[in-house]
This record gives sequence, structure tokens and C-alpha cells, in this order.
Amino acid sequence: MESSYETVVIGGGVVGNSIAYHLSERYQEGILVLDKKYPMTGTSGSTQAWVWVHNKTPSWYAEFSMYSAELYPYLSKKIGDVEYKRTGGLSPFFAEKDREKAKQLADSYRKIGIKIKVLSREEVLEKEPSINPNVAGATYSSIDGNVNPFRLIDMYMRAAKKNGVQYSTYNKVTSIEKQNGTFMVTSDKKTYVCKNLILAGGTWSRELGNLLGIDIPVNQLRGQIIVTEPLKPFLNYTISGLRQAINGEVLIGYSMEKAGFDRSTTLDVIQETANMAVHYVPSLRKAKIVRAFSGIRAMPEDGFPILGKVPGHENLYVAATHSGVTLSPLIGTLLTELILDGETSVPIDRYSLSRFA
Amino acid sequence: MVMETDVLIIGAGPAGLAAAYETASRGLDVTIVDESISKGGQLCQQTQILRTLPSPFLAMRGYELANTLINQLDEFSVRYLLGHRMIGTYKDGSIGITDETNVFPVNPKKIIVATGAAEKAVPFPKWTLPGVITVGAAQTLVNRDFVTPGKNAVIIGSSDFAMDVAIQLSDVGVNIIGIVESLPKILARDAEKTEHIMQRSIPLYLRSSIKEARGNGEVEEIDIQFPDRIMTEKVDLVCVDGGRTPILDAFYQLGCSFGFQEELGGWLPQYNEFLQTDCKDVFLAGNAAGISSQGALLITGRIPGVRVCEELNIISKQEAEHERASHWKELENLEAKLFPEKWEARLNHIKNYANPLLKDQFIS
Amino acid sequence: MDKTTIICRCEEINCEEIEEAIGHDARTFDDIKRLTRCGMGPCQAKICISLVADVIHEQTGSHLHEIPLPRMRMPISPIKLETLATNSTTFSSVKSVMDEVELEEGKVR
Repeated sequence: MESSYETVVIGGGVVGNSIAYHLSERYQEGILVLDKKYPMTGTSGSTQAWVWVHNKTPSWYAEFSMYSAELYPYLSKKIGDVEYKRTGGLSPFFAEKDREKAKQLADSYRKIGIKIKVLSREEVLEKEPSINPNVAGATYSSIDGNVNPFRLIDMYMRAAKKNGVQYSTYNKVTSIEKQNGTFMVTSDKKTYVCKNLILAGGTWSRELGNLLGIDIPVNQLRGQIIVTEPLKPFLNYTISGLRQAINGEVLIGYSMEKAGFDRSTTLDVIQETANMAVHYVPSLRKAKIVRAFSGIRAMPEDGFPILGKVPGHENLYVAATHSGVTLSPLIGTLLTELILDGETSVPIDRYSLSRFA
Repeated sequence: MVMETDVLIIGAGPAGLAAAYETASRGLDVTIVDESISKGGQLCQQTQILRTLPSPFLAMRGYELANTLINQLDEFSVRYLLGHRMIGTYKDGSIGITDETNVFPVNPKKIIVATGAAEKAVPFPKWTLPGVITVGAAQTLVNRDFVTPGKNAVIIGSSDFAMDVAIQLSDVGVNIIGIVESLPKILARDAEKTEHIMQRSIPLYLRSSIKEARGNGEVEEIDIQFPDRIMTEKVDLVCVDGGRTPILDAFYQLGCSFGFQEELGGWLPQYNEFLQTDCKDVFLAGNAAGISSQGALLITGRIPGVRVCEELNIISKQEAEHERASHWKELENLEAKLFPEKWEARLNHIKNYANPLLKDQFIS
Repeated sequence: MDKTTIICRCEEINCEEIEEAIGHDARTFDDIKRLTRCGMGPCQAKICISLVADVIHEQTGSHLHEIPLPRMRMPISPIKLETLATNSTTFSSVKSVMDEVELEEGKVR
């Protein structure tokens, strides 16, 4: 493997892979992706992988998410089948008081062109007969869906490799220096020289930034998910909290805990999640849970993506975000535009690291 | 609704029962969990005579030993949670147990994990056909369920255990077409077993392996590969012995570190001379601490039992040290002679206690 | 090992598929699992764990002690959801998406 590259992407998660792939679509040579372990080892391999727009707030962030979701059908055509399904998304609520909140949400989205319907109890049950009949209502958006995160990353990697992108895995970056306008990236295996450097370290973004003396305020937020045995297809929609995969497994979970980099699961949360599942979809009672996993969300301090140039560091870029699966097609596209054209087709100034300064 | 107990033992097999005796007989409150509805674990279907048992046990058949171990606990305070299993751990370290209706936490002072061993699969084309089973499964069917699993069988592997099962199958009328061993010699150490096999005119095929199995919905035929030829046999039962490996799930969830000793079955939890893992209150016993002989397993249940009593101030340090020394002496007697490479590996494993190959498995 | 030999019987993954993943630089059981689904079925790798290690060893020359254990998961064996849901009455960590919608002066923030 060579040691000189046009662009080095640190981090082989869904975000880093999307950037590498989209860059490789526009210029063929000189891209290297470094991963301290193997792609999918971290957050990108431990997610329900909703492609989710509705109930993202504020509305400008929902709009950004919508643009990315819109890219998915096209992405599947380009890189291959990633088991993307635009099922539509349902967020049920069980208390009548939440209807007002739901209406407000729908109102504010209408202004930016995202259609959210507030469904009555009868409408929810008609769409999704398996939902608990005690449901009060739900918000519904047709753009939501889900994807198989393993297929997604595998297909990004395969397409990128086909375009000449190189990968070096089990190769942790230990130091980064800038000399005469080029970056020297030293890793477990060797030192690489590159013009452009992209930090896509996900949950480890803060640690990666520290190597350059930059503060990238990303924290960790654990989520635990339980998975059933394969069941015959019975859920029509991606429901906030659970979804059924193509192979019939139902993935359930919507928990948040501050636990640093501790990826253990706990029966406390697993049992709460089970309780939520039987509350939402009572017919799941007899289903067997075969595994539980936890993922660490990369959570920027204010909850919004950190994207774009790193102020004061020429040719240094950062992409660190929560909801990487939803946002990856757009982030890959926009970072590629930023690097190759110097500007982006969708403004990302709002997401600059400079907002934390 | 948290259940409190001094000692929680996971597994009511021979090692778990030995650990229970060591702790309950000294007055500790002991709870034993086992997913089976009966006690004794795999010992219950061992009909062969076990000759090398630690004192005070004389040579006896496996199921007789199981009964002895169970009966000697009768007079003590032991709570059996049979038909229960551990499913995981809570944030505060309590153990989650289920009886299939409820899940409840148990909060023990000490845990002794005696989850035993699992048989390894032996892969060849079509090994997943019905009729291909492990030697352990064959033994369970014959001795516990009184089911004859086939008419014409081939045994893959020549360990003592494979030989025992071959004899037991033959005893219930299964025609053993042959014993297939890839090495140039029989692995069984007990020459008497090999003799039994010879007396029954069961062919021993050395330097041979299964090339593939065939069948429509179930195994009907196998190809045995020899250095110079292939032999095809009609069979309806293939019993494979791929060796055994410690069952580690409970240790993994408890956060224990792991090392590797090929002779003891591969990956196993780190432990010291007290059979204590690097999670202070978690101990281990039996095959989970390394695959060994039935006699040795009993002692590996006694050693952590003694330490638990010592740490809970039931016995003095001197008494514990005395007991420990005598248990280790006996373990050496039983293990070092019969399985010197296992004994060596065990000492080596303990020496490497502070240097696990796998630790902090949940930190990403 | 013959390429058609099944390695993971739960998900019906054969040796060739494992070898292909190794060809894409997968080095651990978990790498292979995420690429192929090997070990993700009902038995949760209890049967295929040693078979996969053997294939990795054959293909890469790594010693068995250099091939880490797969991540083991709760529940230690499968359990009915309704059983799992017992003994849980509070919702401290599990949220509803609606909880995340923040209103400011009656309007979505």
C-alpha cells in the first residue's frame, strides 16, 4: 500500500464510507479510508437504521434529513440493494394530550414542504392493525423508512473499492501533523501523507480532534435494542421504537443512557424495552427475543451535525453526527461538493464546527 | 422482589453440586440454578464406570455418582431453582433469572459459575442432515430418553467418550459400522475401552475422515476418505465427537476476562489458584474452567467452595489454606498422571492470570 | 474445507461466503457476522463459533488464540417477550419519540 494520498478519511462508519464513495464517484484516485477496527464495529453496525425525518426538530433539521432520505432510492440504484424500504413512519401516542404537540409538529413542517398527518385512533389501526387498540393517535409521514445497515456499509465499501478507494482496517490513527501544507497521518501500520483530511470518527470524534488540538464536542449516548426471532411479515410501517426487517426479525428499542463508551446491555433497559414492545404491539407477546445489542450514538453537544471545513485548518474537514444512517447520502454528497467545488448545493453553514467557538 | 443468597451456583452438574456441598455443609445459604428440571447435569446419562474419582468416592457409574452428590446435600440449606436459567445481568450486578414466566433478580454475595461444556460441531458437506448428531446427543437419547437413534451408525472420533458411546449404542442394538479417526492412532487412553470395541468386532478406521454425507431429508450414506481410497457406507446415524469447549456466556455477561488454553478446550475465563475470576465475587468450577476428567471436575468445584467460605468468614484462613493444599494435591494426582498436558495448561493458565487475551469486552 | 459446507446452520451460511468476507479483510468472527449474518440466528453463534475460527485460521494463518471471541449477548438463550417484560414497571431510559419533540411557547422549537 502506498503512503501518499489525495484524501484520507479517518473512520469507516456509514459517514466516512459515504464520503469516500461519493468522492470516488467524482475523482478516481488517491482516497484512503482508515479504520481503527473494521467498518460496522462501532455505531453504524449497532443501529435500527431508520431513515427517519418526521419528528426531527427544529424544522430546518427535518428539512436537511428529508433531502437525505430523498437520495436513498437513487443511492440504492448506484451502489446496489441495501434493503432500503420507504415504509412510511408512524409515531404513535397513547395520551390525548400529545395530540396538540403532534398538530404543532405537523404545522411547522407544512411550511417547509414535509407532509405530516396527525392520525386518529381509527386511522392508526387501519394502517397498522397490530398496534395496541388503546392508541390515541399517531403522526405519520410517508418519507420515513429503514435500511439494512450492514448491507448499506458493505455496498458503500464495495462501490468505493470498485472506484479505486483503498481501505486499511485494524489500523488506528495515533498522531496527525501538518507540514508544508500536507497532513502526516501516523497509524499503527505506517505514516500516510495527504492533501485533504476528513475526520469521520463518529463517537471518537473528540479523541480524533484532540490529535490536532481541535475541540469536536461529540458525546456518547447509549441505546439498547432487542431483536426477535424472524416472524412472518406483519408490520407495515416503521414505527418509532420498532421495525420489522426483511428477514422477519423485529428490532425494538428507543433508549438513551449516558454510559460513555460502555457498550454493555443491561436487563434493566432490556426489560423496559420489552415492556414498551408489548405495550405498542401486543401480538409480540409470544415472540422470542434472541438477542440484545447496544450502540453508542455519536451525539454532538447541541444534537445537530458537525459538518464542513474546520475553521483555521486548510483542507481539513469534519463530519460527525447523530442519525448517520439517515444523513449519510446527503453528507457524502455535500462534503464531496465542498472538497471538489468549494461550495455545497445545500447550505451547511449552520452545521459548522465554528458554532461552538 | 430481589432474591438474596450467600452463594449462587449456576449449574447443577457435578462441579456445581460439589461446590454446593463445600459451601452449604459449612452453613452458607446456597441457591443453585439449572435449566433442567433435574439435578446432576450430564452425569445422569453416564452409564460407564468412573474409576478415578477423588476421595471419599469409590469407583462407580456416572448416574450413581450423580445420586451420591445430590443426596449428600439433603441435610443442608440449599435452594434449588430447577427449570430456571440465567439470562443476563442487571446494571447493579444482580443476576437475572427466569422460570419462563417471570424474570427476577438474584443478588448473591458470591457466584460460582459451573455451566459446563458444549460439544463442538464437525463440519463436512451435508453435516446438517438429520441423523448427524454429536456423541453426547446420542448418549442422551439412549440413556436418558431410552430412544435408539438409528440402526446403522458410524462414530467420528476415538476419544474415551466416543468409545463409551460406541459401546453404549452397541449395547442397545445399534450396528456400529466403524469408528473413524483422522489420526494414525486411537485417542482413548483407557485401553480397556478399545479392547471392548475390538471384542465386538467394530472396525477402527485410522487416518480416515468423512468426505461427505448424502441423503434425501436425512442421512442415508457417507463417504469415508482414506489416504488411498474412498469407502461408501449406508448409515442412518452419524455420531461426531468434535471435542468440547467451555460454555462462556455467563462469564462474558458478568464482565470476566478470558484467556486461551488449547488443551483445556480453547477460550476460558481467567482464573487464579482459588478458581476465582478477575471479577472479584465470581468463581468458576468444572468444565467451564477447562475440559477435564470427571474426577478432576469434582475437585474444581471444591476449590472455589473453600475460597467462598473463607471470604465470607465461615472458615479461618489456616483451615482454608490447609483444605486448598489438599485439594490441589489431589487434583494433581488425578489430572497430572492421566492428562499431563491438561495439568500443564491449567498451571500455565493460572500463571497468566494477570495477562488476559480478551478483557473489557464491552468498552468500544 | 469444502466450499459448500454449511458453517452457520441457523442462517445457512456456507464456507465460501465466510471465505469471501475474509477476502474483504474481515478478521474476526464479528466482522464476518456483520458481512454475512453468520452467527446471527437463534443459536447466536453457539454452534458456528469454532467452525468460523477454523476457517479464519485456515485462510489467514492466525492462531486460534489470536481470533477473538465473538461478542456474546443477552439474553443468554432466547426468551419470550412477555416473560422478559415482567418485573419492569418504570420507563427511565426508554423514550417515546414524542418526548423528543420540544415545544417552545406552544410552538415546535
